[in-house]
Amino acid sequence: MALAVPATLWLLVAFAAPMAIVLLLAVQESPDPFAPISLMPSLAQFAAILGDSYYIETIASTILLGLGVTLAAATLGYPLALWLARLPAQWRPYAFAIVLIPLLTNVVVRSLGIVLLLAPDGLVNGLLSPLGLGRPQGWLFTHFAVGLALTQVFLPFMVLALYDSLVQADKRLDEAAASLGASRIRRFFAVTLPLSLPGLRAGLTIVFLLASTAYVSATILGGKKVWVAGMIVWQEALTNLNAPTAAAMAVIMLVWGIAFAVLAERVVRVLTPWLQKAGAKPFAFELPPELARRLVALGDAAGGIVARVLLGLAIFLLIFPLTLVVVQSFNDVPQASVAGFRAFTFKWYAAAFDASTYLRDARNSLELALISMLIALTLALPAAFALVRAEFPGKGAVAAFWMLPLALPHVAIAVGMLRLLQWFIAIPPFWGLVMVHVVVILPFCISMLRTSVLQLDRSLEEAASSLGATRGLVFVTTILPNLAPGLAVAGILAFLISFGEVTVTSFLTTARMQTLPVRIYAEASFSLEPTVHAISALTIVGTVALLAIVNRFVKLDRVWAR
Amino acid sequence: MISRRRLLAASAGATLASPAIFGLNAVAQIRRGDELVVGIWGGAQERITRQHIVRPLEEKYGVKINYVLGGTPERRARAYQERGRPSFDLIYLNIFESRQAVRDGVTQAPAIDRVPNAKNLYESAKLGGYGVAFNPVTVVYDKRKGEVTSWKDLWKPEWKGRIAWPSYPGAQGTAALLMVAKLFGGSERAIDPGFAKIRELKPFAAIQGSQDQLYTMFDQGVADISIEFGSFTRSYAESRNPNIAIANPVEGQVIATNVACPTVGTKNQALVEAFIDLHLSEACQMQYARDIYYSPTVSGLNIPADLAPKLVLGADVNKLVDFDWDHVIAQQAAWTSRFNREIAG
Repeated sequence: MALAVPATLWLLVAFAAPMAIVLLLAVQESPDPFAPISLMPSLAQFAAILGDSYYIETIASTILLGLGVTLAAATLGYPLALWLARLPAQWRPYAFAIVLIPLLTNVVVRSLGIVLLLAPDGLVNGLLSPLGLGRPQGWLFTHFAVGLALTQVFLPFMVLALYDSLVQADKRLDEAAASLGASRIRRFFAVTLPLSLPGLRAGLTIVFLLASTAYVSATILGGKKVWVAGMIVWQEALTNLNAPTAAAMAVIMLVWGIAFAVLAERVVRVLTPWLQKAGAKPFAFELPPELARRLVALGDAAGGIVARVLLGLAIFLLIFPLTLVVVQSFNDVPQASVAGFRAFTFKWYAAAFDASTYLRDARNSLELALISMLIALTLALPAAFALVRAEFPGKGAVAAFWMLPLALPHVAIAVGMLRLLQWFIAIPPFWGLVMVHVVVILPFCISMLRTSVLQLDRSLEEAASSLGATRGLVFVTTILPNLAPGLAVAGILAFLISFGEVTVTSFLTTARMQTLPVRIYAEASFSLEPTVHAISALTIVGTVALLAIVNRFVKLDRVWAR
Repeated sequence: MISRRRLLAASAGATLASPAIFGLNAVAQIRRGDELVVGIWGGAQERITRQHIVRPLEEKYGVKINYVLGGTPERRARAYQERGRPSFDLIYLNIFESRQAVRDGVTQAPAIDRVPNAKNLYESAKLGGYGVAFNPVTVVYDKRKGEVTSWKDLWKPEWKGRIAWPSYPGAQGTAALLMVAKLFGGSERAIDPGFAKIRELKPFAAIQGSQDQLYTMFDQGVADISIEFGSFTRSYAESRNPNIAIANPVEGQVIATNVACPTVGTKNQALVEAFIDLHLSEACQMQYARDIYYSPTVSGLNIPADLAPKLVLGADVNKLVDFDWDHVIAQQAAWTSRFNREIAG
């Protein structure tokens, strides 16, 4: 019970207020920005949204898009996560770079990469045209384009969530199944997949919530022809200064986000009886034996090829925008949007190193991300133990509360924070941003670490205790080393999300405290110059170097390979 | 605490620098150590204003000028939230946002007598604050595919299915909608003809949401014609795509302005006005014109002959098509929902 306190307290202080304001705004009748807040709740906004077929269609297509992206991320994520988990330890950091690079690349730049891919003379059209599936307009400005961009953006989250589960899984189970004559495809479906279900739950939840609330990629790839709910929240809140309608839409998004998270939770719980308390009913379903035999035969014949194709696709999708980043960062063009290569130049790097601006912002971003990550991990670790091992009244409600910041669109958090600006400005700018960033990344950390704690081998702890180790010693010598991969993955994710956060931060930056992504976003709002690509390229090189150095000195393989 | 002597010296300096503030109370004087917060766009505009405004002011008065970069929606939302107790001293808005902000008591109407360079402003740049740049909206097209001399050319068969229509709301989308309504018997108060005629142009190749997006569409051959800022498009055509032409339609281009808006309740009135004064100075206006083809909002500059044809100057400024922006902004929510359903859907 005490374990649940730190995370809950933090969210109560930093998140409950903006959340309450969003709820309060959603039940206002008048959209006037200067109207006094009325305490008489009115359902006028919800009635207006749910009574309008255009909004209903947008909501439905947003949910479908979110589900599609989640499915695509899982399909592409499994082969990639398995490949990562089975790679020799010395190569792992470099392979990790493949997953992390997209997360390090500015989302605007990534979306421009997808534009290039889907353009009329782009690769996708080139491949599909001979099949008679080409389109004169290319594949831009369709739901497919938006879905592809979102898959590219959120695939790394799925891979990291699965990776943790797969690395933790007991290798001996797979070996035992193999020795009993199970083919690879049967081992995947009977051993690997079930064991990784907790990770899959975290991945599905995170990807769905992110994909169904995103709006930046949808704006770029949808060309305003494809509308998602997040875009409506943004437009109502900012362009029309109509916070009540925006808040009501955000609340509707919140409801479906929580519904999805609860559903994923229930399904995985039923499918993983060995992780539940004793007496849980095992879940089993039998296919007709003839059908099962044929399916296995088909799987064995095609499984390897399909897995390789999916792995290739996943890597290509993640890496493709990178080539664009590198090419554009040396390209002498006035705007960053894609064009042919005109002339080689170093000027974007010169601009990126212009000490007065980017470097200072980059340092702000680094410090902010690092401190937010450390705080979030510190809060999330006891929270994860509370979820997995403690029993206390209202546990379900607390768990749902912790996930709220992930289910509420960032733009809605921003709207809530806007109303609190007067108080917020009184806080030192850096710590104010840390408060909010921790709120944004905490659900990811809790979700990831919960999977890791769930898969801890309790017998190791019992052995250590029986040998006379104190609880503190057990924690340091047994639990922490076993949690290392989970902590590393959660930490990396948290760091990168904080490092790239724009939506909420752009409302809270003050003149003395600006982050790098907010600056890039500000430039993009006027006209994007390739400096963005130079910065992205530098960030990527820096990360790969960092991973290599860490690998050299910390000997990650000791910790990670079990 | 500032010593009395320093205060006297500073205020004497400030008074000499701008006699116009003589007689204002002490709060409105520029003092050493004052900090100004300005909300402005990034990119070229940040660079130019830092060079011509921030550096000279900081050197001259010993003040500190901080920028909060971003687009107008975020700034505007914050300024509305902080009405009367602003964290910004000065925000830059577009033409219709600025006039609405004055009406809503968020930003100040211009005080032409207190800003020396403001007396040269064109009349249309004195509304909703101080216009610092004209950036008119017009038809831009691929000249290999046809010729455009009138807004009505958009309905010619050669453009069918090749149009990237600008999204609404936004400066370009608003200009396009109002202009079409005006051409076909409507006005900002009778918008139906606008929607009806735009519907006739469907299917669109795309709906474009920003100039960067449009140029990508041109590069990729997705569309051949759109409605956009002439200034950016000229930069793009000169540097990347010589096939793109900027039309000068007989009906005129639609006015769009970047406006400097002092907030209501700023504690740095005199410094804000000094800032705006420098933004309207010849050096800054010329740099805007040369670097990004923004047309000056002050008359009487010496524009070189090679640059003049690329800008909107003198009598042409008065030909820019203007609308009742107060009414336009009041209709925005309703028109947005119509646009999403009838045009983009």
